[in-house]
Amino acid sequence: MADVTYREALRRALDDELDRDESVFLMGEEIGRFEGSYKVTAGLWDKYGPTRVRETPISEEGFVGAGIGAAMMGLRPVVEVMTINFILVAMDQVINHAAKIRYMFGGSVGVPMVIRAPGGAGAQLTAQHSQSLEGWFAGCPGLKVVAPATPADAYGMLKTAIRDDDPVLFCENLVMYNVTGSIPDDPGFTVPFGRAQVIREGTDLTLVAHSYAVQRALRVADRLAQDGIAAEVVDLRSLRPLDVDTVAESVRKTNRVVVAEEGWSTFGVGAELAARISHVCFDDLDAPVERVGSAEVPMPYSKPLERAALPLESKIEAAARNLLVECGVL
Amino acid sequence: MAEELVMPRLSDTMEQGTIGRWLVHEGDAIAEGDVIAEIETDKATMEFQAYAPGTVLKILVGDGETVDLGAPIAIVGEPGEEVPDRPQQPPANASVEDAPEEAPAEAPAASPPAIVAAPPRAAQSGNGASGTLRVSPIARRMADAAGLDLGSLAGRGSGPDGRIVKVDVERLLAEGVPAAAPEIAEVRRPEAPAPAEDEVRELTPMLKAIAHRMAESKATVPHFYVTAEIDMTRAVQMRAELNEGLAGRGSKISLNDLIVRACAMALIDHPQAHRSYVEGHHVYHAHANVGIAVALDDGLIVPVVREADRKSVLEISAEARDLAGRARSGGLKQREIEGATFTVSNLGMFGVSQFSAIINPPESAILAVGATVERPVVVDGQMAVRSIMAVTLACDHRACSGADGARLLQTITRNLQAPSLLLA
Repeated sequence: MADVTYREALRRALDDELDRDESVFLMGEEIGRFEGSYKVTAGLWDKYGPTRVRETPISEEGFVGAGIGAAMMGLRPVVEVMTINFILVAMDQVINHAAKIRYMFGGSVGVPMVIRAPGGAGAQLTAQHSQSLEGWFAGCPGLKVVAPATPADAYGMLKTAIRDDDPVLFCENLVMYNVTGSIPDDPGFTVPFGRAQVIREGTDLTLVAHSYAVQRALRVADRLAQDGIAAEVVDLRSLRPLDVDTVAESVRKTNRVVVAEEGWSTFGVGAELAARISHVCFDDLDAPVERVGSAEVPMPYSKPLERAALPLESKIEAAARNLLVECGVL
Repeated sequence: MAEELVMPRLSDTMEQGTIGRWLVHEGDAIAEGDVIAEIETDKATMEFQAYAPGTVLKILVGDGETVDLGAPIAIVGEPGEEVPDRPQQPPANASVEDAPEEAPAEAPAASPPAIVAAPPRAAQSGNGASGTLRVSPIARRMADAAGLDLGSLAGRGSGPDGRIVKVDVERLLAEGVPAAAPEIAEVRRPEAPAPAEDEVRELTPMLKAIAHRMAESKATVPHFYVTAEIDMTRAVQMRAELNEGLAGRGSKISLNDLIVRACAMALIDHPQAHRSYVEGHHVYHAHANVGIAVALDDGLIVPVVREADRKSVLEISAEARDLAGRARSGGLKQREIEGATFTVSNLGMFGVSQFSAIINPPESAILAVGATVERPVVVDGQMAVRSIMAVTLACDHRACSGADGARLLQTITRNLQAPSLLLA
């Protein structure tokens, strides 16, 4: 076990899989000589050459479509979309082609492709470059959507994604690239999809999150602990398939839930979870499911306004405390 | 403006209701959801909740008094408001929105019921004028499991707008308010002492209903009886083993739980002994809903374990314990005391050797269970000490024949004498 950054965990997963399987190749803007805008592909162009680490023009629709074609013909492309905001010009390729081809061809052809894309906000990149759109994709049958929150999961889940025979949207988060954690030295290590994880145990309330919101939830749990509140943190890890069982098991124990995400709450991941929880845990709830997300505005540029719009720890904590007050615990 | 509260319909069959007691006085302010009275129906005592805030201006029907459905029982309005004139006597059969069809349509215009009272715990939400006791789902479930009545906390919970939440129930439980239900086989408290002289007392609605239904059953249902002695030695042994193993989980299985399970399984095996005679037809039952007679201080009530044929001994045990506990605390819901297809009445805890019971129509049979006692019996030509229980099955001869009843009893006996079958 070695402590590495989330960025390095991703790089190592790519390296392992390029080495393991000749059909794996990378494609994206500036991922070769420049090593990627966020340096996730550092050293791979030197090691594997320009055929397997391919540079593309600024043309998301074109290179996502090329990835789909290559995948249909038997290769395993890992396409980097520089940020999830840029996937919008390739929406037809993702939703109407990648997600549909197995169905449209009666199951005879699949699309074993991974699209890696970081989302998230907090660096004053303003409205067009600060979005968390994973919920949109998680609502689409035919796609798998994962959003790991730790280096170990980033490592294990990217390998699972590359080995999966269907298209996977692999959601990263800009702020998380420098988060460190240990990953196993075993190149055979993978993390399955559709299994949420209780990463901190507690009894008084459940904080459910994915991606960077998990890191925030953990810090909120630390703060609540100072007041004797034991918060349980459930990391969803994968949004589609969604592991409702693990969430439900936690809710049955704590009876109170806050769902936190960096996207907008309306029609968001929290909305889906609130519906599922109220369905399977109706008799276990002590209060309605609470949701925390970004303010329902385009992300402002101004630093104070950006902070005001983001679901920072202070907001998740406030939502948790309000819920606990409503339940007579605080 | 002043409004009349009327006697609500709280059970399918009630025609009249009795004010058990008022929990408010004239002049008291009440909030939506407050329990303001206990009302005795023909089946149970139920809470009457205010569906809107106001002040109690006048109580029209006193504690212990009985009136027809829809009759005004109190007037609620603004503090100090004049109480409007109204007819002397509450009209019989005043119409209520959900009153039976035979109720006269021409209710006296002078005193129309101002509004229809909502039944307690109506499944409504939001801020509308509902009679809902505001309780979080988990708090309600915990209270039900412990047989707790949350009426005393109505509107005073720790949650928003007085919603009763988990911590409130935990606090009540910690204070030792009637906690978990006592075991079914527990002997009841002694009765109230005899009066010094003869006294005539009104029957409670429940006793009236029992008197009426039992007389009707004995007069109209042709009962026949079959009796058997069941060797319970292995069942007693199995129960002891189960309880030893389950001790850590807080579960405790009674012999009656095993009997309920044995009956439920046997009833499914014998459809002819598990059908009701209703108006010249036979109604065959798909599942065994087994009623368990629970003795109260004065009277009895029969909560129902639904689809007991589909439930494990452990599930039946937990449910029976919960139901019996709430039967004694008056916390049963209407749906929990109806729909039985068979009843088990157990007087074994009183040392009764055997007895026969009266069928509760439209059920077609009832099993009367005596005490399980160690007795010398002949087994394979040798004297042996075995635990013997005598049971008597009463059957409706319009539903089944003597042989049907005997076959049912034979299977019940087999299930209890080879008790591992009960775990199947």
